Amino acid sequence: MDGDGAVTDASITMGQPGVTIRPGDHICAFYRGVVQRDDVLVPYLREGILAGDKCICVMDDPDTERVLGALGPDVDRSLRSGQFDLMCSDTAYVPCGYFAVEEMLGFWEHGVGDAVRQAGYAFVRAVGEMTWALRDLPGVEDLVTYEARLNRFLPRYPQVILCLYDLERFTDGRVLMELLRTHPQVLLSGQLLENPWYTEPDDYLAEPR
Amino acid sequence: MSAPELDVAHQLSRGLLSTMRSLLVLGQLMTESTGERQILDLAVTAVPSLARCRAVGVERDGAPTGVRGVDLVGAAGGPVELPAAGWGWAYPLGSRTAHFGHLVVAADDEPSGEEQFLLRALAQQTGAALANQRLHAQEQATASQLSVVNDRLRGTVGALERSMEIHARLTAVAVSGEGHDGIARAVHELTGLPVAIEDRYGNLRAWAGPNRPDPYPKDAAARREAMLRRALATTRPIRDGGSVVALAHPQGDILGVIMLVDPAGSCGEHELIALEHGATILAMELARVRSLAESELRIRRDLVDELLTGTDEESALTRAVALGYDLLRPHRVLVIEGRARAGDNDTFFQAVRHAAREEPAGSLLMARGSQVVLLADSEADWEHLRCAVLRELGGGRVRIGVGERCERIADIPRSYRQARLATRLLAAAEWDDRVVRFDDLGVYRLLVGIEDTDEVERFVQRWIGALLDYDRQRSSDLVRTLFHYLDQGGRYEATASALIVHRNTLKYRLQRIRQITGLDLSDPETSFNLQLATRAWQTLRVLRAE
Repeated sequence: MDGDGAVTDASITMGQPGVTIRPGDHICAFYRGVVQRDDVLVPYLREGILAGDKCICVMDDPDTERVLGALGPDVDRSLRSGQFDLMCSDTAYVPCGYFAVEEMLGFWEHGVGDAVRQAGYAFVRAVGEMTWALRDLPGVEDLVTYEARLNRFLPRYPQVILCLYDLERFTDGRVLMELLRTHPQVLLSGQLLENPWYTEPDDYLAEPR
Repeated sequence: MSAPELDVAHQLSRGLLSTMRSLLVLGQLMTESTGERQILDLAVTAVPSLARCRAVGVERDGAPTGVRGVDLVGAAGGPVELPAAGWGWAYPLGSRTAHFGHLVVAADDEPSGEEQFLLRALAQQTGAALANQRLHAQEQATASQLSVVNDRLRGTVGALERSMEIHARLTAVAVSGEGHDGIARAVHELTGLPVAIEDRYGNLRAWAGPNRPDPYPKDAAARREAMLRRALATTRPIRDGGSVVALAHPQGDILGVIMLVDPAGSCGEHELIALEHGATILAMELARVRSLAESELRIRRDLVDELLTGTDEESALTRAVALGYDLLRPHRVLVIEGRARAGDNDTFFQAVRHAAREEPAGSLLMARGSQVVLLADSEADWEHLRCAVLRELGGGRVRIGVGERCERIADIPRSYRQARLATRLLAAAEWDDRVVRFDDLGVYRLLVGIEDTDEVERFVQRWIGALLDYDRQRSSDLVRTLFHYLDQGGRYEATASALIVHRNTLKYRLQRIRQITGLDLSDPETSFNLQLATRAWQTLRVLRAE
């Protein structure tokens, strides 16, 4: 199955009142601390599990029980069935101890592509907790390049990718501006906004760096 | 306006709208930001996206920036001179209520009015976010202070609750009258550590908890005293080796010691408080016991006092019953006189009390000046008792006069007088320290019993009156010399030794006696009468002293 044709314009609920998402959305969610993180993450995944979406969650916080507990009793079944993949950032983003844009895009291609083409999921919700990028690891300086290129990958499948950035950890305002420029949508204070700072990947990647 | 002109106008307004939305998103992100640096970085980074300008820097709270003129533009902002820039402007970072500094931007040429409007809006938004941030920081600081105060309060309340628990537990022990064992057990339960209660001298009185040492170790007296002095000098328990020690010392008088056995040094504030409360309760308990003992002693003393002087028998019996004492047994009165090598009358009294209890010779006794009067309720070996008192004293002198046995309470004053006379005769006759039973006084006993002492006086004058006059006039010692000479059966050596004089002095004195009296001391009849006269003279002296 070719993912390109599967993108629809139908609105999908995000799990928060009044917030809807659309296939192809690449959302930068800013929050402060784990409580606010879970306020975004848990409804997003719960809605996905209930709707029968494929859910892929990459967490940097080792306390995954906190999120699993909040997701409720259905989560075990979805984990067993393969509907819900929960993995840690070391496995997903830095499996070899360094971050490589191509390998990361391959990870999504494999994960999302297989879910849609082979498992037949009509929609995929991906979410990544991005605090791993603050670690002193080779390749993390390519984070914004990766975020920009992800925008080219998004339309290929019926999917939404939610990137979680903790404002208490990402304190450098210049990095925040770069994140604004690489995400077409931004979730701030419970509001999903079309991001006017967003720069198309071709233009963004063409800028000298 | 023509259609193409309208189209351009719409495009311009769409562009402005988009830029305003950018500012709005940025403002929202700034509001969510966690620090001033983050906010200012966002503002500085956003400048080139809003206008054909660059941000030179941020002047914050009046801190010098090196940009000329910034300090002059004030809260309204204004132009500044910047090197290698055609245009420079300091935009105020302010909110309605506060001013935080300036966002300084530069451009080769003056930007358009619309661009300047956006830069001013950016600065305002940054100022609002900074105000919000500071307010938030203040709130957090207040909350943090509150949290610290709350933690302290919680700690205080917790400590108070624990203290109340300790207080309640130990008060219950004090009320229940469980004594030393109860106090040790309660402190052990409250602390989890083994607890020992010792008397002032280090003898174990109670133990609670595991690993009780057997035999119980006892420090040398000097080390013990040093530890007690150290503990007295502070208001809190002290560490002494593997133990933590608190004193029970009401009114500064150390009555006992309570200690936690804590070789690992795990004892914390909670355990110290329990120990301190334990020491207070122990002090109360020991003071109570001592007060009881003192009361009983006082009652016994009063009873003895009345029995010796002659009292209403019924009243004496009633008080004796209250003390659990059988007064209807036969008694003898003992007058015990002496002194310790060191110490006062109380030391002597306590020595007699302990010895009489151990013997056992009786428990009714009282101090009268330097003497102790004992109402003996058994026929003990009195010399053994005398040696026991000497042992208690650790040396010194002790002599005892023993009155006749009395079957009735009414006879006790007589027995007392006899014991007193016996003791005085002992002194008057300069005998060695010993026990003198009135029963065994021989001729003295007869002499004491004579009611008409005038006849005795005349007998004394008849035989040794001349010697008494001589002694009085010359301050000599002839009567005493004669008494010892006859008492020693006429033996020169023994007499000289008793008088502590040289043999020649004795011979001289005897010669004077013969000259003054004109008597032959070797004549048995004369010797008998002189011996009787000197003993009568001793007896009269004792009776007159009564």
